[in-house]
Amino acid sequence: MSQSRPLQSRVLRRRETVTSYLFLLPSLLLFITFVLAPMCLALVTSFFNHTMQSFEFVGFANYRELFTDPIFLRSLRNTAVIVVVAVPTVTAFSLWVASAIYQMHPVSRSFFRIVFYLPVVTGTVAVTVVWKWIFNQYYGLLNSSLKSVGAIDQNISWLGDARYALACIILILFTTSIGQPIVLYVAGLGNVDRSLIEAAEVDGATRSQVFWKIKWPSLLPTTIYILVITTINSFQCFALIQLLTSGGPNYSTSTVMYYIYYQVFKLYRYGYANAMGVILAIIIALFSALQFKLARSADAA
Amino acid sequence: MKKLVAPILAGLMIFSAACAKEKPATPSTDAPSTQTETETPESEESKTDKSEEKTSAADTSEAKESETDKSEAKDSEKSEEKESKTEKPEESSKSEEKSEEKSEEKAEAKSEEVEAAEITLWTHPIGAWKDAETVDGFIAKFNEKYPDIKVKVEYLDYQSGDDQVTAAIEAGTTPDLIMEGPERLVSNWGAKGKMVDLKDLWTEEATKDIEATSSAVVNACRWTDGAFYEYPLCMTTHTMAINKELFEKADALKYIDEKTRTWTSEDFEKALKALKEAKVDQSLIVYCGGQGGDQGTRALASNLYGAKFSNAEHSAWTMNSPEGVKAIKKLVEWDKAGLISHDAGIQAADELQLFANGTVAMTLCWNASNEANYASQVEFTPYPVAFPTDQAQPELCGGIWGFGIFDSKDEAKIAAAKKFIQFVSDDEKQGPESIKATGFFPVRKSFGNVYAGTEDEARMATFATFMPFIGDYYNVTPGWAEQRTAWWNMLQQVFGGEDVQKALDKYVEDASAK
Repeated sequence: MSQSRPLQSRVLRRRETVTSYLFLLPSLLLFITFVLAPMCLALVTSFFNHTMQSFEFVGFANYRELFTDPIFLRSLRNTAVIVVVAVPTVTAFSLWVASAIYQMHPVSRSFFRIVFYLPVVTGTVAVTVVWKWIFNQYYGLLNSSLKSVGAIDQNISWLGDARYALACIILILFTTSIGQPIVLYVAGLGNVDRSLIEAAEVDGATRSQVFWKIKWPSLLPTTIYILVITTINSFQCFALIQLLTSGGPNYSTSTVMYYIYYQVFKLYRYGYANAMGVILAIIIALFSALQFKLARSADAA
Repeated sequence: MKKLVAPILAGLMIFSAACAKEKPATPSTDAPSTQTETETPESEESKTDKSEEKTSAADTSEAKESETDKSEAKDSEKSEEKESKTEKPEESSKSEEKSEEKSEEKAEAKSEEVEAAEITLWTHPIGAWKDAETVDGFIAKFNEKYPDIKVKVEYLDYQSGDDQVTAAIEAGTTPDLIMEGPERLVSNWGAKGKMVDLKDLWTEEATKDIEATSSAVVNACRWTDGAFYEYPLCMTTHTMAINKELFEKADALKYIDEKTRTWTSEDFEKALKALKEAKVDQSLIVYCGGQGGDQGTRALASNLYGAKFSNAEHSAWTMNSPEGVKAIKKLVEWDKAGLISHDAGIQAADELQLFANGTVAMTLCWNASNEANYASQVEFTPYPVAFPTDQAQPELCGGIWGFGIFDSKDEAKIAAAKKFIQFVSDDEKQGPESIKATGFFPVRKSFGNVYAGTEDEARMATFATFMPFIGDYYNVTPGWAEQRTAWWNMLQQVFGGEDVQKALDKYVEDASAK
């Protein structure tokens, strides 16, 4: 009797384990097929001179070439600028908007959420067409507006001038990136324990103190998620560049993702592009790990 | 963490798809392009199926024999009535029998044992070949003759068409047939061993007929190893166009020889100055936001002082020559002087739109097809002119469009695709219709003026006057794809202040990189 009980328990546990794995199986298969296998293949082929015609082992030659390729280094720098500028501004602006609208009447709140979320659900091509028209040098809305208020004398080629092109890309990226963080922050702020806020207010806490001492710690998990997602999106900025500037003028808007595309589809250098992809994946992984670590230490403090 | 890394890994998938394929062991020596004459797809087929030998080998036998023994080939032509659609139209004895042959044609076609196949055609937006209604009509006519061959069509655009083809090549999902020019079919995919040698379609009659129009067309369709990776259908020359009324108003029309529609580089500069004095805001924009319509900026730069993009053998890029440097320096000088402008934010499509709405006085990207497309939009007279030059005559960039077949290794599909090419390109009735749909000119001399008696006759006659100016088809120089991306980047650099000689040297180096 005493021996059969542990045996029964083991059988039951094994059955539960098998059932759990069966539930996981579809996702696991998709993950292996579309994530893990391509990742491994990309890593392997990054050591090959893989083009449309050849496939020869070259060791670390692709990686060595990367760090002597001025266009890759320029693209890496541009990507870093996009991440450094876009991530904090998107996060801070989203938090500010969410703080302003989360206590509004549900109808007004929904209206603002729709307004800010609209660029996210609108197709990238449609968004870029509209922005291209706004930035057009000859009949664009931006030039005519600035001219009408006397801010500029001559029309500016916003996307064709290296001084402004990257800033224009970041602006568009900003408008398409804030929708999701705003919705998440509004939800996060709505979930902050009201009793804690009321207790703090009864104890005489200022609005600023309530925000930083009560709300902000509660929003930390949401903030981490937003930071990581925005960082990844910024690193992967590609469609806007391909549709608006093709990396120009003079590579001033070229990002690592765009340069990967350029090497694959224009120059057919698959191995070299894979090496870039591997480097980008490592950088994103490191950034994400760093963000998690910083957030955890802040949480612990 | 894995979940967070997943989105970027998804971006890497496109490259891993390339990795997943087999080692692409198709160097030029193994490619179909270098198959000996007895190893053509048809003859391989004949080894395995003798019953099909007589029929499927018929097409190739004519080509082979014509190369080895002209008289024997003619005998062969006469003895094999199945070849009637490739016969010379000028042969009087045969033309007398034409009506009889036509009535028998359908029955003959049915008796021709064409293996049933389903083939896919990808076509770029070449005139009305982008319209399903037009292409479906051609396929319906083709199916009257070859009911067992089904043709599926997919329409590409120039924005993403190349990417789709590249992805298809790496994934092994290429179409059987593709309609485009030699710069893609021959010097890109053909040179990389992805295309079928169409030598058997290039019969002696077809070659002579096309050569009579321009030997450059024949050369453009043939790769350096002698293989033909394209069978051409139509051609044109790319020109500039001016806003005639605006030029008249600025008294700048006098700088153009209206009889030949040409102008010298010196007169061109005078016209630019006249336009500036007449307070025309935008005379000409050197667009360099991408490779779309880059033949316009290339033609402007090469014509000004007679620079050549490649050497005569098409083995090296040469735009960093003194003439090339002089031309680019002149463009930068004009840009600084406000006679022209540059814009790294636009490509040819944007520039054409600016021309059509009257914002800019000239376009660098004009041809018969564009004139037809923008006819309803313009409120002025778009006046086609050649590019300005200081040479005896301009050298205009030619455009050649035709068909190529991706090497699927499926002999039935390849044979079916060849039948389709022959029908739409060589058939005496269908050929001219196929060409009219492109809005360009036939490569076959025997087709004559396909626009005679149509509403397009006068318009096309204007563009026909530019045909003698067609220049060297340097698009087949190795490194064409690299050259295209290097060109607009080079323009951005020189207009950004970089040293012209240095930038052109780098451009040549990038174009020549392998």
